[in-house]
Amino acid sequence: MLDAMFHARSVAVIGASKGTTETGGAKLGAAALNYLVDHGFDGPIFPVNPRYQELAGRRCYANVRDIEEGVDLALIVLRAEACPDAMADCAAKGVKVAVVYAAGFAEAGDRALQDRLLGAARAGGVRLCGPNTNGFINAVDNLVCCTSSVSDMNPFPGGDIAFIGQSGALGGSMLGCAMEEGSGFAFSVTTGNEADLGVADYLDYLIDDDRAKVFALFLEGVGDAPKFLAAASKAARARKPIVVYKVGLSDIAAEACASHTGALAGSDRVFDAVCRQYGLIRVDDLAELLPTATAFSWIGDKLPRGNRVGIVSASGGINGVAADECHRFGLEIPELDAEAKARIGEFVPSFGSVRNPVDLTQQVRSRVSAYSDAARALLDLDTIDGVMLFATMVGEPRASVYGEEFSTIAREASKPVIVGWAGPPGLASKGFPMLQAKRTPTFRSVRGVVKAMRRLYDYRTFLSRFAREAAE
Amino acid sequence: MNPEAIIPEAIIPEAIIKDALARKLTALSEFDSKRLLKAYGVAVTKEELVTAPADAVKAARLLGYPVVMKACGPGITHKTEKRLVEIGIIDDERVASAFAELTARAGGSCGILVQEMIAGRRELLLGMTRDPLYGPCVTFGLGGIFTEILDDVSCRVAPFGRADAEAMLDEIRGAAILGAVRGMAAVDRGALCDALCGLARLALEHDGIKEIDVNPVIISEGEGRPVAVDALVVLG
Repeated sequence: MLDAMFHARSVAVIGASKGTTETGGAKLGAAALNYLVDHGFDGPIFPVNPRYQELAGRRCYANVRDIEEGVDLALIVLRAEACPDAMADCAAKGVKVAVVYAAGFAEAGDRALQDRLLGAARAGGVRLCGPNTNGFINAVDNLVCCTSSVSDMNPFPGGDIAFIGQSGALGGSMLGCAMEEGSGFAFSVTTGNEADLGVADYLDYLIDDDRAKVFALFLEGVGDAPKFLAAASKAARARKPIVVYKVGLSDIAAEACASHTGALAGSDRVFDAVCRQYGLIRVDDLAELLPTATAFSWIGDKLPRGNRVGIVSASGGINGVAADECHRFGLEIPELDAEAKARIGEFVPSFGSVRNPVDLTQQVRSRVSAYSDAARALLDLDTIDGVMLFATMVGEPRASVYGEEFSTIAREASKPVIVGWAGPPGLASKGFPMLQAKRTPTFRSVRGVVKAMRRLYDYRTFLSRFAREAAE
Repeated sequence: MNPEAIIPEAIIPEAIIKDALARKLTALSEFDSKRLLKAYGVAVTKEELVTAPADAVKAARLLGYPVVMKACGPGITHKTEKRLVEIGIIDDERVASAFAELTARAGGSCGILVQEMIAGRRELLLGMTRDPLYGPCVTFGLGGIFTEILDDVSCRVAPFGRADAEAMLDEIRGAAILGAVRGMAAVDRGALCDALCGLARLALEHDGIKEIDVNPVIISEGEGRPVAVDALVVLG
């Protein structure tokens, strides 16, 4: 049903225009058309606007019904009041899915206008995304129907994360930040008021797409709970992790959600139970949503078998912090056996630490392979399920050496390796981006590293339990 | 006669609920609530509902002293606050006087429940509410007077499997209380899981049940056996 949306063969842009607004940005009708064209969608694009003969080098139609060829998808970039009539035209034309961008419907108190819009869509069998949405992106096929200026990033870096968000503006900013940090997306959709299609519909559909391997959800409410739970079960069967941030812990937030997308926030306690039950990875800090999804995207095929970690750094200070964070989040730091101690003792000076956590000391500067040697000694142990590497103050050119070394360790390991980079990325101008380019999960904070490892472990635990229960 | 036989074995849950709904009751009595829960795998106190002092004495002897006596009827809730519970009754004479006092305090026209007294210091709660989005939610937590004070509960949305029931036990902050602590036996976790899964099944099979409150479930001192000492099934 959503093929006509995410894999549209032809797209009409109703309300397409040109020119800029007072603040210098493209008008919405221009943005929708230009992003679609500029990102290189390879199917026919039909601008629709009675005021123009031609737009973006294409014939412009007065009405969507005037288009001779079939239209899968219509992007309606008109003011709210004009949308129900445009939707009726889409219905008459046989458009399969329409995205309505305008705000000013149920979220602004005009339920009647939204009902008219939905009525027009239902009458013609048109599925509706929105209203009050920034649209969606299929980055794999260059189908960019997203009016957020995040679409200025062109081309989008490829990836296998699917983002589904109930806030357009926030969704765009999160996506943009994540992409600047090396994350890659296959799909993104902001759901708006969900008058028709909701989070559960998009989730259910995209789980079946091979190119979406990890889901990141920004939720205010889940809308259709049974459908949402069914989709969550399907994701578990497909072993596709769903990372979720949900608003609504406080009453004020719950009210804000209700007026924003009309979604019932529901009881936070119950949602938390649902997450545990269905293996949803719930993050309690919005800033962790996409980095966590990215960690799953990059090393989700190496989930830790247990909660025992090895830690390597060149700083006793950061090792102490890491040990505390591991304690806080339930990760164990096992003692090393005599053989591992001997192996590491060969290159760690006597004033360092030949224990777990391993402190290589600043002698690390003179031995290029110190991190690799220590990390491999830990990774080889049956008692270690994952390794964390921490770099403190490192500038170029040493940062590049570390970037290369860390990413090589992580790539070659059969266990998860996560990097913490405590120094300023600006002084590691090549090394830090190298880690991201080589898909090595890297966090600026110690806690970020530890929480990511813990979540990988939790998901692995969930999958084992899920498989066991499915077998029963 | 075996005390077990006091509770008739052939409980037809449908009949209890149907009868209550026909009588337009908003809640089942403690006795009926427990009969229903027992049919779904929740261990409850051995007890008998009587309407005459002589039957109360007979039941008490059968159960073995000490016993607990309560006023029991569909409209009777908050029994402790209303002084409708007498605990630690040790002989026939006291059974007879408790019968008279409870009947008087309840304003007559109700049954008197005579039940075994479970010795234990640990109190838990089991519950079920219907979430407007997710449907039946089963909760587990610390019971008795700690329920409101500590608000230490875990929950799951029905249906769920045994592994989730196990996880619920571990998720409360006070999970350590389930272990062998301070000379008390470790709690029979299997029995608690049976009860949690039973509540989920009960909620799924009977739409007419709006809410269930099993509080307290006392952990017997010697064996670590969880026994529902009070229960309320709300209809609607």
